[in-house]
Amino acid sequence: MSQSGVQVDNDCIKQFNELKLGKTLKYIIYKLSDDFGNIVVEETSSDKDWDNFREKLVNAKTKNKQGKEGKGPRYAVYDFEYDLASGEGKRNKITFIAWSPDDAAIGPKMTYASSKDALKRSLNGIAAEVQANDEDDIEYNTILSKFNKGA
Amino acid sequence: MASQTLNSSMQPTDVYGGDEVSAIILDPGYSSVRAGFAGEDTPKSFVNSHYGVNESGTVFGDDAIHNPLAALDIRNPMSKEGIVEDWDTATRLWEYSITSRLTSFKQADPRTNGLNDDLKDMDVEMDGIEEGEKPLEEHPLLMTETAWNSPKNREKSIEIAMESWGCPAFWLARNSVMAAFGAGKATALVVDVGASTASVLAIHDGLILKKSVQKSHLAGNWLSSQLRTLFETSEPKVELVPHYMIMSKSPVDAGAPAQATYRKYEKSPTDSFRALEEERVLTEFKESVVQVWPGPGRLNSNNQMGMTNLEYAKGQPGRVFEMPDGYNQMWGVERFSVSEGMFDEKAALPIPGEQPITKAQTIPEMVKASVNAVDMDLRSQLLQNIVVTGGTTLINGFTDRLNNELVAMYPSARIKIQAAGLTAERRFGSWIGGSILGSLGTFHQMWISRKEYEEFGANVVEKRCK
Ligand SMILES: Nc1ncnc2c1ncn2[C@@H]1O[C@H](COP(=O)(O)OP(=O)(O)O)[C@@H](O)[C@H]1O
Ligand SMILES: [Mg+2]
Repeated sequence: MSQSGVQVDNDCIKQFNELKLGKTLKYIIYKLSDDFGNIVVEETSSDKDWDNFREKLVNAKTKNKQGKEGKGPRYAVYDFEYDLASGEGKRNKITFIAWSPDDAAIGPKMTYASSKDALKRSLNGIAAEVQANDEDDIEYNTILSKFNKGA
Repeated sequence: MASQTLNSSMQPTDVYGGDEVSAIILDPGYSSVRAGFAGEDTPKSFVNSHYGVNESGTVFGDDAIHNPLAALDIRNPMSKEGIVEDWDTATRLWEYSITSRLTSFKQADPRTNGLNDDLKDMDVEMDGIEEGEKPLEEHPLLMTETAWNSPKNREKSIEIAMESWGCPAFWLARNSVMAAFGAGKATALVVDVGASTASVLAIHDGLILKKSVQKSHLAGNWLSSQLRTLFETSEPKVELVPHYMIMSKSPVDAGAPAQATYRKYEKSPTDSFRALEEERVLTEFKESVVQVWPGPGRLNSNNQMGMTNLEYAKGQPGRVFEMPDGYNQMWGVERFSVSEGMFDEKAALPIPGEQPITKAQTIPEMVKASVNAVDMDLRSQLLQNIVVTGGTTLINGFTDRLNNELVAMYPSARIKIQAAGLTAERRFGSWIGGSILGSLGTFHQMWISRKEYEEFGANVVEKRCK
C-alpha cells in the first residue's frame, strides 16, 4: 500500500482498463495532482513511437513547495510490444514505469516513490515493472534487453 | 471517488484530522538526535546523543555535556546497534531535543521540566513535568527507526508518544525506507554508514526484505579507532590531547613537538568525558583529512603502472592537520590506509583489545550477502538502485570505491549508485524524508490516532507501520 496516504483517482483505473482491453491506447502517463493529494491521468495516447513517449517523461515538470518548476517524476503504463530474441514472433507486455529522474527535487521524488504502490496495486494486469531514474533507464533498448533476458 | 487498496486490517479506524499543527519529526541515531517540524528542509534541532551524569543529575545537549568542570560521566542511551537501550534516558533526551530547540515550544522552567536537572543548588522539588500537561499534546509525531528495531521497542515508542508526551497521532517510519524514497526509489539496496553501524539492506516496493539485512561495526566510530591506532603507532607518536586540556599553544613547525601549556583541573574529568572530547578532534580529522582509496583495485593491489596503488598514493599530495596542542604534520598515504579496512579486511589496522575484523564485515561483502539473500529476479534491479546514506559515506572517495568494488564483483551487472550530492541530504536523509511525508496533506490517512491506540493498544504499530 501507499505509505503517503495519496489516493488514486478512479479515471486512472478506467483508462488502464481501456488500454488493456480496448487495444487502442498505447500508453498512459499519470501524475500527482498539483496539491499532491491524488494520482490522476495526465495524458493518454495511441502514438506508437517510443521516443515520443520517452521525450514526454524526460521533459516532465513538477512544482516544488515554493512553486518553482523543476524536473518531475511520473508514473506510466506502456503497452510494450517487442520481437522475441528467438525470432519467434511478437510479444506484448503491459509495463508499469515509475519515472523519477535523479535530478528532480527530493520532495517530489519522496512523494512519488512513497505513493507508487497505491497506483500499481489498483491496476490489474500489469506484466512488468520498470523503475527508472535516468534517461538511459528509459531507452527502448534498455527495457527490451530486460524483457529478452526474461527478467 | 478514490479507490485505494487498504485491506481491513490496515484500514485506519479513525483518521487523525488536526491539520493546523505541524507534525514533529524525530530521527534518533547513535551519534545525534535530529528533530524538527514536518515540512522544513532540515532538522532545526540537532542534539548529541551522548549525555552527562554527575552527582547532581543528568544533562543533555552540546552546551552542557562539553563542560570539563562538571565531573560528568558521559553515556549514550542507544546501543552500539543504534537501538534504544536505556528508555528512561532516551525519552528525556528526545524530549530535550524537541522542546529546547524548536521555537514554538515554551520552554518550561528548567528547574521543573525535569530535563537538565543539574540542580545541586536549587531548592526545588524534583518531580518533573506536572500532571495533565504533556509536552506534545498538539503535535503528531513521526519517528524513524532502524530495520532491526525489536517489536518491543517499537511498542515502547508509541507508548512514550501517547502516554508520556500526549501526542494526538503517531507514525513509525524505517530510516532506510525514507532514504530510498528520498532518492526516488521504492525498490533499492540501501547502504547506510553512520556512527556505530554500517548496514546494507534491500527494499522492495517500500518494504524491507528482512532476510537481506546485513550490519557490521565498520562505521564512523570504528574509523575513529583506526585513527587512534594510527596516532599511537606514528613515529613520533601523535598525542591526542583534546581542546579542553589546552590553555595556550605556540605555533611549531611540521613534525616538531608541541609547545603548549596545559590546563589543570582540581577534579580531573572522567575517562568517558575525555573520550567524548577526543572524538571531536577525530571527527574533525575525518572530515578534513581522511579519504577512501577510490579504486580501481585495492590500496594494496597492483596497478597498470607496475606498482601498488599504495605506492602510487604515496606520491599524491598530502594534507596538514593541526592538533589542539599545536602539533601538526603532513598526512600522506595514511589518509587512505585508515579507511581501507572498510573495503579490505586485511588492510585494517589492529585495534588493541578487539578481534581482527572479518571479510564478511566489509561493505562490499555485506552488499554481496544482502543481494544473495533475495530472489534471483530482484538482484540485478537492486544493483542498479543502490542508495548510499549516512555521515561516514561523506568521506571523499567512498562512493567511487564502492562502485569500483561492485563492478569488479559483478562484472556483467549494471551497477548504479545514487548518493545525494547535498551534505545535508546524506546526513539527514531519513529526517528529511520523514519531514516530506509528514507534511503531505494526505498523510492524515496514515497516522495512528490516539483513539486507535486506545482501542488496540501499542501493538497497533506492528499492524500499521510495516
Ligand atoms: N564529512 C564527514 N566525513 C567523515 N565522517 C563524517 C562526516 N560527517 C559526519 N561523519 C561521521 O558520520 C557519523 C555520523 O553519521 P550519522 O549518519 O549521522 O550517524 P547516526 O545515524 O549513527 O547517528 C559520525 O561517526 C561522524 O564522525
Ligand atoms: Mg543513522
